[in-house]
Amino acid sequence: MKRAVIQIRKEKLQLLPQKAMFWPTRKTLIIADLHLGKAMHFRRAGIAVPSGIEQLNLQRLEDLIVSTRPIEVLLLGDLFHSDLNSTWQGFIDLRAKHASTKFTLVTGNHDVLEEQDYTKAKLDTLPFLDRGPFHFTHHPTEHSSLYNLAGHVHPGIRMVGKAKQTVHLPCFFFGKTAGILPAFGGFTGLYRMTRKESDRVFVTVQDRVLRV
Amino acid sequence: MRVQKPPSDRALITTAVDWFTAQGWDPQKFQRACWQAYLQGKNGLLTAPTGSGKTYALLMPILLEALRMRSIAKQKRGLRAIWIAPIRALTKEIEASAQRAINDLGLDWSVAIRTGDTTASSRAKQKRNMPELLITTPESLHMLLAQKGAAELFSEMRCVVADEWHELLGSKRAVQMELALSRLRAWCPAMRTWGISATMGNMDQAMDVLLGSDPGERVLVRAAVKKVIEVSSVLPKDIRKFPWAGHIGLRSVDQVLPILQENRTTLIFTNTRSFAERWYQALLDVAPDLAGVIGLHHGSLDRATRDWVEQALHDEKLKAVICTSSLDLGVDFRPVGAIVQVGGPKNVARFAQRAGRSGHRPGALSKIHFVPTHALELLEGAALRMAIKEGRIESRIPYVRSFDVLCQYLVTLAVGDGFRQAEVRKEIATTFSFNSVSDEEWEQVLAFVTTGGPTLLAYDEFKKVEVEDGVYKVLDRGIALRHRMSIGTITSDTSIRVKFLKGGYIGTVEESFASRLDVGDVFWFGGRNLEFVSIRNMEMLVRSSKEASGKIPSWLGGRMSFSSEMSVVLREVMDRTAKGITTDPEVKKLGPLLAKQRERSHVPQANELLVERIRTKEGHHVFIYPFEGRAVHEGMSALLAYRISLLGPISFSIAMNDYGFELLSEQEIPIQDAFDSDLLSTDHLRHDIERSLNETEMARRRFRDIAQVAGLVFKGYPGKAKAVRHLQSSAQLFFSVFEDMDPNNLLLRQAHEEVMTFQLEESRLRNALERIATQKIVITDPPSITPFCFPIMVDRLRELLTSEKLEDRIARMKAQLE
Repeated sequence: MKRAVIQIRKEKLQLLPQKAMFWPTRKTLIIADLHLGKAMHFRRAGIAVPSGIEQLNLQRLEDLIVSTRPIEVLLLGDLFHSDLNSTWQGFIDLRAKHASTKFTLVTGNHDVLEEQDYTKAKLDTLPFLDRGPFHFTHHPTEHSSLYNLAGHVHPGIRMVGKAKQTVHLPCFFFGKTAGILPAFGGFTGLYRMTRKESDRVFVTVQDRVLRV
Repeated sequence: MRVQKPPSDRALITTAVDWFTAQGWDPQKFQRACWQAYLQGKNGLLTAPTGSGKTYALLMPILLEALRMRSIAKQKRGLRAIWIAPIRALTKEIEASAQRAINDLGLDWSVAIRTGDTTASSRAKQKRNMPELLITTPESLHMLLAQKGAAELFSEMRCVVADEWHELLGSKRAVQMELALSRLRAWCPAMRTWGISATMGNMDQAMDVLLGSDPGERVLVRAAVKKVIEVSSVLPKDIRKFPWAGHIGLRSVDQVLPILQENRTTLIFTNTRSFAERWYQALLDVAPDLAGVIGLHHGSLDRATRDWVEQALHDEKLKAVICTSSLDLGVDFRPVGAIVQVGGPKNVARFAQRAGRSGHRPGALSKIHFVPTHALELLEGAALRMAIKEGRIESRIPYVRSFDVLCQYLVTLAVGDGFRQAEVRKEIATTFSFNSVSDEEWEQVLAFVTTGGPTLLAYDEFKKVEVEDGVYKVLDRGIALRHRMSIGTITSDTSIRVKFLKGGYIGTVEESFASRLDVGDVFWFGGRNLEFVSIRNMEMLVRSSKEASGKIPSWLGGRMSFSSEMSVVLREVMDRTAKGITTDPEVKKLGPLLAKQRERSHVPQANELLVERIRTKEGHHVFIYPFEGRAVHEGMSALLAYRISLLGPISFSIAMNDYGFELLSEQEIPIQDAFDSDLLSTDHLRHDIERSLNETEMARRRFRDIAQVAGLVFKGYPGKAKAVRHLQSSAQLFFSVFEDMDPNNLLLRQAHEEVMTFQLEESRLRNALERIATQKIVITDPPSITPFCFPIMVDRLRELLTSEKLEDRIARMKAQLE
């Protein structure tokens, strides 16, 4: 696994091929758009999405926490896809295994669970979070002084090569005042970004992150 | 009590003949044959062209049988016969024909139409009092199966007629029919099944699909009605100025005008909806006096607009109608004197069917004019004439093992009265489509609708079909409602309804087109300039505009490929052209172009395979011309690219048309080595195709329809934007998830199977490769672009195949700047 590093407002951030970000000075793991429970939500409606996707998402999250050993896990919204279902218990169990780690959720448009459900998961919920030079939100936004880091968009980029080759890949997308993380969840789509010359874009390719 | 002897077959047929005579008609041989066979209790398939009296060939004996039944005993009211029409437009005419005969024969039968257009109140009325004869579509028939008390409804059924069976056969709607018929036969063993079809290359198979393994006697009745079709091409004035590539043919618009003048009414067929829009606009540009006397007809226009055009055609108010396949079917328009086909129809049967829309009176000549859209397409004009003359007609390949349709059907039954699995298992085994389904596959289908497939989770909440006392049922009302909304196998992309600010629908455009418009933009649609005002709830509001515009919506739709018949005749024309022994005016006209092809490269004969190598700033191009049609080239190019890529890391982009295909790479392509080491052999064909990335991409695209039919993707309520909360998803996403989590999934396997059968046409591909093995390979290095390669080179639709590591490729690529 090869990570890339980006410097924003004098802070170094590591971009992980697992579609997550690690902030070493604060030992914070930052993840956007997990959409846990999405497959189960579909299954409850009679749509036979393979259920394994839920376990896989939880397992990926677990592996990431074990390998990065964060003090805090910061979730940038759309943690849970819809109304409560049995996958939430899976998240509670996972979270309980890491009792000493702080879990914070900056809520997104999909986060519609009851307050008590978040409490049960020992999860702090906030509409936004300002820390260091960063303004963390779910929806990308502008901030007068801080650099915005957000999710929501599920950014992807189209790569074009010689001989008329093209490929679409999930990416980290950093503009002048705001950056967007790729969606972590396995059952999520891609939104095609258009970039300007000044944007810094990193794609995740198998086990690497590449600047493009 | 006086017992009356029921009338004999002979007496009944005399009744029919008398009625025909009273109408001033003479019963034809095929009609008598059908009456006889039907009254003897046989099943069958009738092949007869439209306008030949095929409807009465089967309506009559159904009514005659009713006369006989009535003379035996007083009959209960209720459903006796179902007439399946593939499109709603046909139902009215059948209803009128039936009503006329019923009245004259003094039967107390009622006739009703039931389609998606039927109002809820009429449907409710029908449910209480089913008509004796119901005219409906395959989808509406399944809707009846999804009702409570369905078995009771059908208990006295005597016959199902599938009209225009050829239209249904090559689609999943035929599978839908097979399933419905299997259930009806189980409910009413006395039921007969008949089909009416245009001529196809595989009539016997068509009958087998319709009848399944019904043990009753079966008969194929052919009407000996032959139509003479005259094919001529609209030749470009100056071939030197005629484009080498393109597919719209607007350059020939002014040459089509004389055809319009010579005939009372002309139908102009284009291959796509957006080309129809452009032709309409272009005709008005060159001949403004046509305003008001030409019409536009395609599938995205509002039903009312299309009805108006059809009525105006009947009333001889229109000089011409520009249309798409939307007018391939439907009732006859008697005033039509000539047909124009813009661009290659790719298929002989389709061309003949369109030609047949002119010259309706028996013995009348059908005239069709072919308008080529680029230079090489002239060859297709010559090929079509030859195919028509020699009576070559395509087969339609039936869908088999369409598990998506089966899944949908099981839920349909479960929404109705429910089903017992052993019974349905036995019934589906009698269908052509599912006779090979194994017990294990059946278990998987049942699991898919009951438990949602294998689950790894401790707490699973999947809910769809539930089992109560051995009966499979849908208990959840939301699920039942959503299922009823999605019954059917005709899938479409999300469309936006276009509506005037002041009210009035115009038609639908694709969401992707709508999303590219800004407020104030003017676009051309439905034959008018419209200004985009706003978009809300899947409705686009517009107002008329005086401003001219360049934008024309495009609707998705796969590109058609040459049928096998078409490619055979084209190769023969090509061979004669290479040998210089053709007399076709089209080929003569092409003279200067062929001279250029000879000068720069070569014109191949039937025993040669032409390969061109060209280098441009794009990279290294290799063009190969098997003249087998796009579908076969798709598989062949993927196969060749894959096998070359095994020799070393290399990436290709691939393009193709009906004549040949192109491999393009940054690196030099070892094409000579490839032929030397026999890389186009049929060994491990399937294995290698499946490993080519293209196949996966094709399967992914196929899966779009499958996911929708199987109920994985819910499209919402028709015309309404009422989204179901958090249930939006795309088939693409499902495909990826299934590939990762459940690679053995039946629907996934079906997607691959469909690619092999329908898209790559495996059996054709195999034959083509065997043919190539006997050909001499002619490799040329043209100094510049050739007339053959140009249309392929400029094609923007491309496939990719690579054996390089993604990260290596990415390193050389650039993220797109826009």
